[in-house]
Formats: sequence, C-alpha cells, structure tokens
Amino acid sequence: MSSVALVPDVLGALDAVREASGAASPADFMAARQQMAFTLGFHIILASIGIGLPAITLLAEWRSLRTGDPVYAELARRWMKAAGVLFAVGAVSGTVLSFEMGTLWPGFMDTYGQVFGTAFALEGIAFFIEAIFMGIYLYGWDRLSPRAHFATGIPVVIAGLLSASFVVTVNSWMNQPRGFRLVDGRVTDVDPLAAMVNPATPVQAVHLILASLMVCGFIVASVYAVALLRDHRAGRVDRYHRIGFAIPFSLGAVCAPLQVLAGDWAVRFVHENQPIKFAAMEGVEHTQAGAPFRFAVFEIPNALSFMLTLDPHATLRGLDSFPAGARPPGEVVRTSFEIMIALGVALLALAAWWALSWWLRRRRGADLPWHPWFLRLAACAGVAAAIAMEAGWTTTEVGRQPWIVYGVMRTEEAVNPNPGLRFGLYVVLVVYAVLAIATISVLRRLRRRHRPVPVMDEPRVGSPV
Amino acid sequence: MSHGDIALSLILLGLSAYLLFGGADFGAGLWHLIARRRAEKEVVEHAMGPLWEANHVWLIFVMVMTWTAFPPVFAEVMSAHWVPLSLAALGIVARGSTFVFGKTAPDRGSYAWTFGLSSVVTPYCLGAVAATIATGSTSWLSPSGVYGGILTTALCAYLAAVYLIWDALRLGSRSLSLRFRGYALISGVVVGVLAIPGAVAYGVHSPLLLLSVIAGTVSLALLVRRSYLAVRATGALAVVAVLWGAAEMAGLDLESTVAQDAVLELVFAALGVGAVILVPSMVWLYVLFQRGPGDTAARRP
Repeated sequence: MSSVALVPDVLGALDAVREASGAASPADFMAARQQMAFTLGFHIILASIGIGLPAITLLAEWRSLRTGDPVYAELARRWMKAAGVLFAVGAVSGTVLSFEMGTLWPGFMDTYGQVFGTAFALEGIAFFIEAIFMGIYLYGWDRLSPRAHFATGIPVVIAGLLSASFVVTVNSWMNQPRGFRLVDGRVTDVDPLAAMVNPATPVQAVHLILASLMVCGFIVASVYAVALLRDHRAGRVDRYHRIGFAIPFSLGAVCAPLQVLAGDWAVRFVHENQPIKFAAMEGVEHTQAGAPFRFAVFEIPNALSFMLTLDPHATLRGLDSFPAGARPPGEVVRTSFEIMIALGVALLALAAWWALSWWLRRRRGADLPWHPWFLRLAACAGVAAAIAMEAGWTTTEVGRQPWIVYGVMRTEEAVNPNPGLRFGLYVVLVVYAVLAIATISVLRRLRRRHRPVPVMDEPRVGSPV
Repeated sequence: MSHGDIALSLILLGLSAYLLFGGADFGAGLWHLIARRRAEKEVVEHAMGPLWEANHVWLIFVMVMTWTAFPPVFAEVMSAHWVPLSLAALGIVARGSTFVFGKTAPDRGSYAWTFGLSSVVTPYCLGAVAATIATGSTSWLSPSGVYGGILTTALCAYLAAVYLIWDALRLGSRSLSLRFRGYALISGVVVGVLAIPGAVAYGVHSPLLLLSVIAGTVSLALLVRRSYLAVRATGALAVVAVLWGAAEMAGLDLESTVAQDAVLELVFAALGVGAVILVPSMVWLYVLFQRGPGDTAARRP
C-alpha cells in the first residue's frame, strides 16, 4: 500500500458499536431479515423473468424465421420490449441487494466476503455480458440481418443462466459452507472454487433455474389467458393471443414435471445434509421409526420413511433431536413447504392437461384446450408459480435459521449492530410498493400500444452521459 | 505490486469510471431537473442511455471487489454509513426505474421529477460518505460530510454540462450547445470555488491538487475558446484528480484486511477472461448504434 495512516474511525468501528450497544435490538434484527426477504423476494421474480423472457422471445423469433409468420415476429417484438423494461427494474433491484449485503449483514461480509466473493465477481461479469447483448438485441432489431439478430439473443439467454447459477452458488454455500478453515474467528486456507462447487450447488441451481423458467412461462401465459377469455366472451378467435399463450405456457409445462424430479432430489439432499431443515419441512417433531407422510390434514402412515429410504420402518430424526437453540421456526418452514408442493402439483396437473390435449390434437385433430375453465386456471398459473417460488425460497431460507452460514455463523452475529434498521425497512416497503405499481402500469401501457415505440435511442455503455 | 495493491488499483479505477460516467449521468439528471426549456431537456434525454443505467455496473464492480478483496473494510463502511448508503441505493432504484418508465410513458410528469430529484440525492449521499471516510469524520451529517456531498453533486453537474455541449452539437443545435457551455462555465467556477478552499482547509499538499487546479483552469479556457472535444478530457481529469486526492487523504491501511492470494488470483483471472468477452461486445454495441437503423429496416415487418 502506498500510504499507511490508519483511520481509526473506519476500521474497528463495527466492533466499537457492538461493544457500545451490544447486538442489534430484536426489532431491528427482525426488520433486517424482513427487508432482506422482501427485497430478495421482489428481485427473484424479476430475475426469473429476466432468465425466461429472452428464451421465450427467442423461441418466437425462431418460429418467425422458420415460418415467416408475422404473428411470431410481432410477439417477439413485444416480449423483447417488456424484457427491456423488466431488465432495467431488475438491474436496480439487484443493485439494492449488493448494498444490503453490507448495510444489513456486515458481520457476514466481514468474515466470509472473500470466501464467496469470487462468485459475485463472476456473476457481475455474466450479468454485464447479458446487459450488453440485451442492448445489441434490442437495438439490432432493425440494424442486423434477421439471422444475425437471432444469434445475438443466444448470449443473453446463456449469460442469464450463468449469472443465476453463480448467484445460487453463494446461497448453496450458505447451506453447505466449504472451501475455508476457521482459525480464531478468521478464515484461512480459502479455496474459492471449492466454495462455489459445494455439494448443494448442483441441486439448488437446477431447482432454481427450472423454477424461474416456470415462473416466467406461466406469468407471461397468464396475461394471454386473460386475453383469450375476453376473446371467448366476445366470440372471437385471435391467433395472436393463442400463440402468445402457447409458447410460454408450453415452456412452463415442460419444466413442471422436471421440477418435480428436481424437487425430489432437493428433498433427499436436504434430508442427508441438513436433517434439521428436513425435519422442519416435513413436520417430524420427534425422532421416530416409520415416520408418516403428513400433508395439511392428511397423514399416510410410514410413507415418509418409505419414500426416503424404501424402508417403511426406517428411523427419521425429529426436531427434538436438536438443541432448542438450533431449530428453525418449524411452522413457517412446514407451511411454506406445503404451499410450494400444493401449487407445484396443481401446476403439474394443468401442464398435463395441456400436454394431453396436444397429444390428442396430433392423434385425432382435436383442438387445444381453449375451454374457459382451462383458461381461467391458466390465468391463475402465473401467480401460483410465483407464490410457489417464494414459498420454496422461504422454506430453504427460514429452514436454515438460526444460521446464516449453516453450522458456522448465526444470523444475529451477522446483522448490522447500528440502531434504527427498522426505519430502513419501512422506507424500503413504501418505495418498492410504488415501484411495483409503476412497473405494472408501464407494462400495461406497453401491452396497449400498437405502434412501435423505440425504447432506446443512443449508446451509453461506457460512453459519457 | 502485491495482490492487495492490484485490487486497490482496480477499485480506484472502478470508482474513477463511476465518477466520470455515472457521475455525468447524475449531473445530466440534475440539469434535466433545473432546465426550463423543453429543448434542453430533450438533449439530456437523448444523451441518456438505451436500456438501463449501465454505468452503475462500475459501482457494483467496486462493491464486489471491495467485499472480496477487503471484506472488513466493506463491512465497516457499509454498516457505519448504512443510512446515506441506503438512501443512495433507493435513489438508484428511483432513477433507474423512472428513467426507463419515462421513455415508455413520456407524458407522466412524476417520472421526470423523481428522476431529477434522485439524480441529486444519490451523488450527494455517496459523496458525503466518501468525504466522511476521507477526512476521518464520524457522520455524513458532519460538516465534512455535507461538504463532500455538495462538492460531489457539483462535480457531477459540471461533468454533465461539459459532455452535454457535444451532445447538443451532435443533435445539430448550436444555440443549445451554447446554453450548456454557459452551464459548464458556471458550474466549473462553482466547483473551483468549492474545491480549492476545501483542499486548503483539510491541509492537502498533494501534487494532485495542483493537477486538478491546472486541468480545471485549462478547461475553463477551452470552454471560452469553444474547444468542446478537448475540454471533455481536461474536465474529466480535473474531476477525477479530486477523487484521487480524497483517496490519498483517506490513506487506509488495507494490508491487514486483504483477502488471501488464492481468492484474488481467481478474481483477477475471471476479470481478464471477462474483459476479453466484454470489450469487443461493447465495441460492437457502440458501432451498432452509430450505424443507425436505416440499413436493414425494410426487412422486418
């Protein structure tokens, strides 16, 4: 370092505050958790759409290239514009999360920032590549040949998947911390690659990416389901709406059964590696042989033991086998897990309905399911998928409590000890409520508009102003 | 150079880029708020970017680099200054979203003033935090913090005005370019009046101070002589020298906080590979814009 005059007010201030005021007050601690949950929950929906919408847009554009059908081109153009708006909002809501890493959880960053930091550096690079190609794709519409334009969309999808995977490695690391040794409260022997490719990474990445494709597919489809219902009432058949529904809904429908497999993988993984989270998810209060499968008010004797081990009498560890101070809040974890399962099964059933009609159409020339009842359910599928994702996220996050880094650091050790965090939460809630309303109103405007509007006009990346 | 030195240089580089590019964006928002004439606002809107506020990528880069390379510093700074930094984050949200909303729904006035207001609040808060750290003060509300906030906002406004002259010329408006030249001259003088006594008061004896003063004076002369391209460089130099001076003044001892070599080596390698992909794609994006939509427009429905 060039100059070495220590500024005591900066370094060591965190410890000073901790000594002066102890830890954060319970109200501030809860507020910090709620703010993180809320802003992350908000961002996760935008990020899902950020991954899925370019993929759907490319599917439409590919069909447009193959068939020359202007309906596909029009759909691709609309989706591309919506993707642009949502990308901008997702970029800023993601920036907020970077701030919150430090303003809410300085203890976590202080000790472990270097262990998982590389994943964020990689995520940042992938995100920037995504942003640049998003720009090329948006602007290139009238400036590149159709084939070249289609090709510029592919890096958007790949970089989106990569950046989501990199981010998820940090969360999987929090569940399965690897790649460091702890000596006197400081980390040493850091192996950032081992931290990233921890045992939980593959299952969490697959589960999350499938979830985000489902969320995006079903949300976009639900917009067109509403339009199709309106067409139905008016006695119209609108091919634009039908194709606009079929592409995203099919993406969601293809992912739904895969997600059941990934979810099963995740449950088995949690059972082996985080048994206490598993006990909370499945509501196993006491360690018992032949544990029943409970769901809401239903109970199937021995089924849980059987599903996990193929032995109906296998012993499963219950919450009571862990010390009281190390248990997550069981009710929250179990309820959110059940909500996720219930909605996932419902979406799978709807996907099966769609697949069956598709198959029947090819066999006997029957039409796709344009019944009002199917459309009504499909119109709810977007919200259902989003709730399922939030519920799953709640399951894994609350299920990890009281740890921020499983078995290594407690969440309350990580929180910012400075007073007043709860006021930050109130402000954030208001700002995000306004942001959500404004985003939806702008998207509705995009839907209404029929003449093409340039969302952009000048280069800006790296150029002054 | 040790790994820590390289990381620190990268962070300073990122901060400089954020000040020069992101700062000019904030300043443009300020002029958008102040400007009364529709035509002036249009120059600002035209100069603003396509899709999202890409220049925040520099800030994200700085944050990620800091928490990876110097985790305790990140934790201390972010937790101690959580109030102004949270305000800055919300300002970025407000700016980034109203920016894209305003393009989609230009008739909504609330988007425009939210955009302008957050363009002032965000650099103010960031500058206040930077000055608090550099001077070793306790709070962003201390005189040093307030001074840093005002100075940073003024620097952004100055940079934006200097850049916008050229943007107005590119749009073919000589009279508008003269307006922004006027703004640049006024804000340039204001920045000088703010910065030089401040530097003297804090006892800055760095050659960087001299560099900033010379570059600033040359910029004013170039503005008077209407050398609009050259002033972009000298104006930027005058501004960025202030940041370097503040960094020198902070003189943080980071040796005890630096991450392990294995971590930094992987980060540097990733940045290198990333740059190989990023730089050509950025150039392509830039070229694509310059080309204009005429060439292949007829091919699409």
